[in-house]
Amino acid sequence: MLVEVALPAVVVVYVASSIIYLARLVLGPTVPDRVLALDALSLDLAVFLVVLSLMLNKPVMAFTVIPLVLWIYAVDIYVSKYLEAKEMGE
Amino acid sequence: MFSLIGLILLAIGGFFELVGAIGILKLPNFYLRVHALTMTYIGGSLVPLIGAALIALERVELGAQRLYVFGTCVIAAVLILILAPTGTHALMRATYFSNTAPKQPLVYDALEAKKVDKEV
Repeated sequence: MLVEVALPAVVVVYVASSIIYLARLVLGPTVPDRVLALDALSLDLAVFLVVLSLMLNKPVMAFTVIPLVLWIYAVDIYVSKYLEAKEMGE
Repeated sequence: MFSLIGLILLAIGGFFELVGAIGILKLPNFYLRVHALTMTYIGGSLVPLIGAALIALERVELGAQRLYVFGTCVIAAVLILILAPTGTHALMRATYFSNTAPKQPLVYDALEAKKVDKEV
């Protein structure tokens, strides 16, 4: 009963913080700032998907979280390799 | 019982997420913003994923698939626990050694000598 009330509140909090991350993603003066905002935005999306799948009783939406988390790590590593060595890797 | 603990963890996660978002927007420097980013990594994503896993355990509307949701959330939390520090550290190290972001409110730079050694 409490869960039905609390899950939409959590969704509201995560959507609000994703708007703030989008502001940093657009404003960010340098490339690492934008990557940082993209990381935070993707993790926000991961938790948002899980909470939404619990709220709507659709478990299919929760399974996409694992590739999303791995993709965040790939973005970090690719961008740091490009910044340090000025190449993307083969 | 499980869903009450899960709701408490979700509330902690929402608090950390909002505070980290404000920090990412308002802090003046890239290296200070990384501090807020790691706060959203662990406090804002790992803790609420475990909370959502505990809620999914007691969610009878999902049927037998609630166990799959539980496993997915726990695996994603463990992956975040392993990959978040390494990814953030690699990004910050690359930014420091390539001088991409300005490090303006800086009092003492202990890594400067090491950087000179590396370039020579």
